[in-house]
Amino acid sequence: MRETMGVFLAGGRGRGLGVLSEHRATAALPFAGKYRLVDFTLSNCHYSGIWPVALLTQHAPTSLREHVRGGRAWDLDRAEGGILTLQPFAWRERAAWYAGAADALLRNLSTYADTGAQRLVVGSAEHVYLMDYSDLLAAHLDARCPVTVAVTPARPDQVRRRHMVEVREGRVRRFEHYPERTELTLASMGLYVFEMEFLRAEAAGGPRRSMRDLLELALAHGVPLHAYRFGGFWEDVRDLETYYATSMAFLSPEPPLLLGDPQWPVETRAEERPPALFAEGSRVRNSLVAGGAVIEGEVENSILFGGAVVEHGARVTGSILMQDVHIGAGAVLDRAILDKQVGVGEGAVVGEGPLPRPGGGSDICVVGKEARLPAGYRMPRGTTVGVGADLTKTELLRAFAARPTGERRP
Amino acid sequence: MSQSGYAFLLAGGIGARLCLLSEKRAKPAVPFGGKYRILDFALSNCVNSGIFDVGILTQYRPTSLNQHIGSGRPWDLDRTRGGVQLLQPYLGSVENDWYRGTADAIFQNLMHVRQRRVEDLLILSGDHVYKMDYTAMLDFHTDRRADLTLAVTTVPEADASQFGILELDARGRVVSFEEKPVKPRSRFASMGVYVFRREVLWKALEEDAARSDSSHDFGKDVIPRLLADGTDVFGYPFPHYWQDVGTVDAYYQANMDLLGERPSVDLADPSWVVHTAILDLPPARLGAAAAVERSLVANGARVEGRVVRSVLFPGVVVERDAEVVDSILMNGTRVRPGARIERAILDKQVWVGAGARLGGGEGPPNQVCPEHLASGLVIVGKGAALPDGIEVGPNVRVDPGTRVEDFPGNVGAGEVVWNAREPEGGHSHGYPGAERAARRP
Repeated sequence: MRETMGVFLAGGRGRGLGVLSEHRATAALPFAGKYRLVDFTLSNCHYSGIWPVALLTQHAPTSLREHVRGGRAWDLDRAEGGILTLQPFAWRERAAWYAGAADALLRNLSTYADTGAQRLVVGSAEHVYLMDYSDLLAAHLDARCPVTVAVTPARPDQVRRRHMVEVREGRVRRFEHYPERTELTLASMGLYVFEMEFLRAEAAGGPRRSMRDLLELALAHGVPLHAYRFGGFWEDVRDLETYYATSMAFLSPEPPLLLGDPQWPVETRAEERPPALFAEGSRVRNSLVAGGAVIEGEVENSILFGGAVVEHGARVTGSILMQDVHIGAGAVLDRAILDKQVGVGEGAVVGEGPLPRPGGGSDICVVGKEARLPAGYRMPRGTTVGVGADLTKTELLRAFAARPTGERRP
Repeated sequence: MSQSGYAFLLAGGIGARLCLLSEKRAKPAVPFGGKYRILDFALSNCVNSGIFDVGILTQYRPTSLNQHIGSGRPWDLDRTRGGVQLLQPYLGSVENDWYRGTADAIFQNLMHVRQRRVEDLLILSGDHVYKMDYTAMLDFHTDRRADLTLAVTTVPEADASQFGILELDARGRVVSFEEKPVKPRSRFASMGVYVFRREVLWKALEEDAARSDSSHDFGKDVIPRLLADGTDVFGYPFPHYWQDVGTVDAYYQANMDLLGERPSVDLADPSWVVHTAILDLPPARLGAAAAVERSLVANGARVEGRVVRSVLFPGVVVERDAEVVDSILMNGTRVRPGARIERAILDKQVWVGAGARLGGGEGPPNQVCPEHLASGLVIVGKGAALPDGIEVGPNVRVDPGTRVEDFPGNVGAGEVVWNAREPEGGHSHGYPGAERAARRP
């Protein structure tokens, strides 16, 4: 019997990520040239000795399941208690989607109980960080509280997208959710240790939607919440700007995380690809280039995933090209995120026009999976082309043409 | 696709002509193409041809091979039925001993196919770089009602005397076969890929094993005798790229062949993936001053300097102002700032000191491998460390594990740098290093 089990939420819709999460769970979002966001969490579980692990899915789980499969890449394909991917299911009396993270967590209590778990490490499968959960667990056991909340420092520019916490004498005293500004300097990481006993009582206490509800209620009922402080890099990649900035941080000579630390390498279900091929005349600087990429043109300050092709005369700067993206000869890209299998025709321009002034909204171009831009197409800065939009078919050009990034589809 | 085939893969070769590269590993385990090992090609051919039942015959220095194959996961060969089995010689009854030759290796393992319901058996070599659909060859074999089918390639006339050379009639029947002939009668060479009818193989090997005048080799003994007995032997022409990477020059060239406008083997073909066992490493990192052209760069590599017409394996580091030209750098090798490397093969975890100069130009052949190291290449063994600012001429060989203090000074063309310590701790049984140690001044 294992006393601890990992439960990670992978069901979010990731609205802030626009077309990148339209057809995939955010946890399955490709990241840093060969990974997916969930790899960080599952690698953490592997190295921390946390198993079994449950992934709670809801929104577009296919690509996540395809990636995680039986958990092989993280040695979670165990004869007993490996990895479980739990999608909401219908009961005879009722069928309902999860109303929120706490609902998802509590509706699967009996599954955790079946493993014999007495406490759960609960977190998001979408966060970028490397952390030894056994330290968190040790702190939790030491504190003898029913709940431990992992907290980490937040900069003033980050507080608007954080659940800030006030911590005194090692206990969480108060939350401030998404404040415009605040005196508080610590944010919740959305990572907890819960005693099963506490969760059983919560489930019996009536419906709980979000973790926010659950924790506020616990606070109101005087449940002691231990705070565990984490000092390493941690990011919640919840919108395009954060995704872009966090990705680009990995190009710096001092990246926020060491992806290839021999003691703690981030593991992923890698596709078998040959080494990257640099052709005659290629110029690549300050970039990450994954196996299977083929470069004839010029690439700078960019991230190329496996199988990305940049033909001769093309120039790619400040961009993220996911798997099997094809950039035609002479095309020019600047500050663009191209999802998998996007095709850019010869001489097209993605990210056209002058850079906007700071604060003038997003200037990043985003092209959804499998979309195709015709030769010579011009895509203004800060616009988006939808998933699968084939703009080489002229009759579709008007209907699917680039729209401002962040604007909801009509 | 046939799902019931069985293949024996011969992976015991010493590969003496590969000089240092195969001194501590079996030839099929020699790293190749920026992330693979040579054996990956034949093994991937098996699974891509639907053959999921493979016995790998090892003998010489199998450790790196065993580690590489493991349970066969990367090739989907970790199966409930079939899968991959490593067949190392073992001590049993009196007759069982070290494999005396390729034919003997198969003979000693024939019991592995006794239970299997296969009519025909594939026998492959783990030493070759090629992509081949064995099902097409099996179909040819069945169609001709052959007892034995040999895959056939054409080789340059100058090289023909290094191969098994055969003549074919119009239907593909083999009318003559000569192993390594002094005067080759054609340019058709056996690729060392055989399909045998099981009974024919069994009988032939039993007879061969009993002969005291046999060297127990397929090319030298078994095939000529089968032909002499009037067995139905056919040649299956294979028109695509096939390279025996048996010599240092062939190995070097086969790597360079991957860099051209039209690479010799398409490693990126999603319908014929070449699988290998490799640890996850992050994408390659190219620094702000990096310049890389006509090269293969594997994940985990970091380049700050200039790399031209070279193959960089995972974890290779080329620091700023360093230059790597026409070279092969294996896993974890590091080139310190300002060093220049030309026409060199650096094995794993080699350290090249700052400002060092390796290779380039011509000179006398190597003193200990004159036949195999004469075209100007420099070979540096695994884990060797070269001092800052050292100059190393062409055709030089540096022993594995050599330390900075082992270098007396600059190394002239054709010279050898010995590792001052015996890395084997005296356990050099059956290993060429034993003689070498004795020769050492």
